[in-house]
Amino acid sequence: MASGEFRLRVRYRKDGRLRWLSHLETCRALERAVRRSRLPYAVTRGFSPHMKLAFGPALPVGTAGSAELLDLLLVSYVPAAEAVVRLRAASAEGLAIEETRYVEAGLPSLAASLTIAVYDVRVEGVVADRMKQALDRVRRDGRLTIEHKGKHKVYDLARSLPKEPRVEGIEDGVAIEVAVRMGPEGSLRPEALVEAALASTDADGAVMSVSRTDLLEEAEGAWRRP
Amino acid sequence: MSDLWDRVEPLLREVERPARYIDGEWGAAHRPEPAYVAALVYPDTYEIGMANQGLAILYERLNALSGVAAERAYLPWKDMAAAMRRAGVPLFTLESCRPLTACDLVGITLPYELTYTNVLEALDLAGIPLRAAERTVADPIVVGGGPCVWDPEPMAPFFDAILIGEGEEAVAEIVDAHRAAKEAGASRAEVLEALAAVPGVYVPSLYASADDGSPLEARPPAPAVVVKRAVRDLDAMPVVTCPVVPFMDVVHDRLTVEVLRGCTRGCRFCQAGMVYRPVRERTPDAIVGAVTDGLACTGYEEVSLTSLSTTDHSRLEEVLRRLTRRLEGTATSISLPSLRVDAFSVRMARLVSAAKKSGLTFAPEAGTQRLRDVINKNVTEDDLLETVEAAFREGWRRVKLYFMIGLPTETDEDVRAIGALVGRVVETAREAAGTDRGAVKVAVSVSTFVPKAQTPFQWEAQITREEVARRQALLRGSVPRKGVDLSWHDAEQSYLEGVLARGGREVADAVEAAWRGGGAFSAWTEEFDFGVWERALAACGVDGTSIANRERIVGEPLPWAHLSAGVAEAYLHAERERAYAGETTSDCAAGPCTGCAVCGDLGVDVVTAGERRG
Ligand code: SF4
Repeated sequence: MASGEFRLRVRYRKDGRLRWLSHLETCRALERAVRRSRLPYAVTRGFSPHMKLAFGPALPVGTAGSAELLDLLLVSYVPAAEAVVRLRAASAEGLAIEETRYVEAGLPSLAASLTIAVYDVRVEGVVADRMKQALDRVRRDGRLTIEHKGKHKVYDLARSLPKEPRVEGIEDGVAIEVAVRMGPEGSLRPEALVEAALASTDADGAVMSVSRTDLLEEAEGAWRRP
Repeated sequence: MSDLWDRVEPLLREVERPARYIDGEWGAAHRPEPAYVAALVYPDTYEIGMANQGLAILYERLNALSGVAAERAYLPWKDMAAAMRRAGVPLFTLESCRPLTACDLVGITLPYELTYTNVLEALDLAGIPLRAAERTVADPIVVGGGPCVWDPEPMAPFFDAILIGEGEEAVAEIVDAHRAAKEAGASRAEVLEALAAVPGVYVPSLYASADDGSPLEARPPAPAVVVKRAVRDLDAMPVVTCPVVPFMDVVHDRLTVEVLRGCTRGCRFCQAGMVYRPVRERTPDAIVGAVTDGLACTGYEEVSLTSLSTTDHSRLEEVLRRLTRRLEGTATSISLPSLRVDAFSVRMARLVSAAKKSGLTFAPEAGTQRLRDVINKNVTEDDLLETVEAAFREGWRRVKLYFMIGLPTETDEDVRAIGALVGRVVETAREAAGTDRGAVKVAVSVSTFVPKAQTPFQWEAQITREEVARRQALLRGSVPRKGVDLSWHDAEQSYLEGVLARGGREVADAVEAAWRGGGAFSAWTEEFDFGVWERALAACGVDGTSIANRERIVGEPLPWAHLSAGVAEAYLHAERERAYAGETTSDCAAGPCTGCAVCGDLGVDVVTAGERRG
């Protein structure tokens, strides 16, 4: 980042039909929203200049997110309250801008600092006790092997699942709050965890929806929003 | 209104690229409770169809009408089509997710002959009877348009009406006529007659031949000859500055501003050049305004200044200078489609940023001056080599060249000359690139000439598939290998394109049989199955070679004789004679009228924003 640039952190939602967008599609859509907002975005130098924009971790296709993050560099200061209004007006429904604020220029990137993702998984056709048992059992095993697109991946749950998932009974099923630790080697998909848990105890139930509700950083043993 | 979304969404889990089906893009129009709904269908997947400018224009025009909603529909990819059929979900529009059968009008563009089977796939998926004759007053009217209407006969039985020519004015007239007829409680037959009264609208069911093989004749009140529509003043037609901005990575994912329409350089093989006459330029103010507004509204990072030949615009330099000044520091690029072969074009390309990345594209089309004179491609070898030299000296390292084989009068010498010319281009490029000569890349794309309706070469025989293979081999042996990337058009696809481009109504049965035989997505090289088409043609008793590979006798009734692009047949014939004599014809946009008759008859005229350079 060049001096004289302002780092605006933008929190947005990705939901409704737009949760079917891929990460790349989401990035492009948000970049175009920034252009439409006419905020004074910074661009890289060189042969093919592009907007200075950095995104948080990718959401899988089909998963909604209610606290997604991106950092945008501006060449001049626009009050955060004004920036949020302008971005909001320029964004498609389903990619709603929630909040903007300036952060220190020297902070590490979102990709590097965000290590915890919190998900809300809705499961139909299972009761809370049963779901809890199933999750406990998987956690006790300590390791989880997930098959994805023909590849097997082993997760160390002590690392990947830093907190006990919280299960709550709702109409027709359960809502589970799962916190997952992300890492450069990939992160455990919460629906894979839930499905594996259900399968290991022969419990019925089907994952109906998944949304990411928070992205957090870890500092001195505590979790906090960046 | 029935909204199918709740039934569509569960299917998205199982399919590739769900973004094709979700709507919600920036610029998508949602009209609450419209009295009249038009579905605009592109007969291929979303990522191909979203690039179509014709539909984007009609979308905006229709949505501007009071009480009318225009919505988009694309052909789902095979995985989604299968999932929809399994779940009993019909083809739907994106905006309101309503079945096509719940629309009043279904407009389908015909972008390319090999998409014809996709049109039938779309109709079938929608649950609309394939043939116009089987539809009732409860069905939507199915209206065609676009680049393939100059001989639409192989598709005629599937359409209630087909618009010949430019749609921005006609589309409102079609909707008005249909609405009025509906409100009056008209029968299907009366609706069709009302549509036939709109200038430029061809209603195939009102044309029949007395007996097999005789020409089609109009049943009054349908006009004996349907003459194309053309707009007089392009500046009076607003540019679409707030088009739908896709989420998905689509082809030509950028803002498009049409800077001029028509091209009268007079290439004799070129259908677009004949049928979209005369030249009508937009003024620099209109272009700059449209680009500025369009970028502000869409957030695009690139704008393309399109037309059949953008570097012919009489004030292009001024336009580009104004735009580059305005766009400085915004990381926005400007792109120009294929360039004219001259130093001016290289200079224009230099003014814009995008071109250098992508390389330059030129179309010399033929290898010898003799053959270039035959086709009226007024480009000399010196022009080409000088242009290439200028480009590589300016820093470009890649150039793409388009050639054709199978042009009328072509000899083996002409074919080999393509290879020799490419060799000289490579040499010139290397020399101009100096120490960077190793980076020089010349891409050569060779297509097979397919004679098209309403052109001076409409009577010509297309070379046979065997002959294509022979000439391709000849060419392959003559093109230098080093630094050259040679690609071909598939000979079988070109052959079918020829059958569908000049066939009569009898070919329609074969199109349907090909679709039934699994021939959807024939335009996709990896999906194309020639066997399906061969079987379909044979089963319907259609001899494709007698359509594609046979020279027509002048005076013989042509299947498209009842449709006119406004260019006099006598002009086409004279141009053909001049071709054989090796005589060239000049461009009426930069000089005197050459007498094609479009202007007088259609009430249109050449419009330029300044003086054109010859
Ligand atoms: S009528 Fe004349 S001026 Fe008009 S397009 Fe034809 S040749 Fe050109």
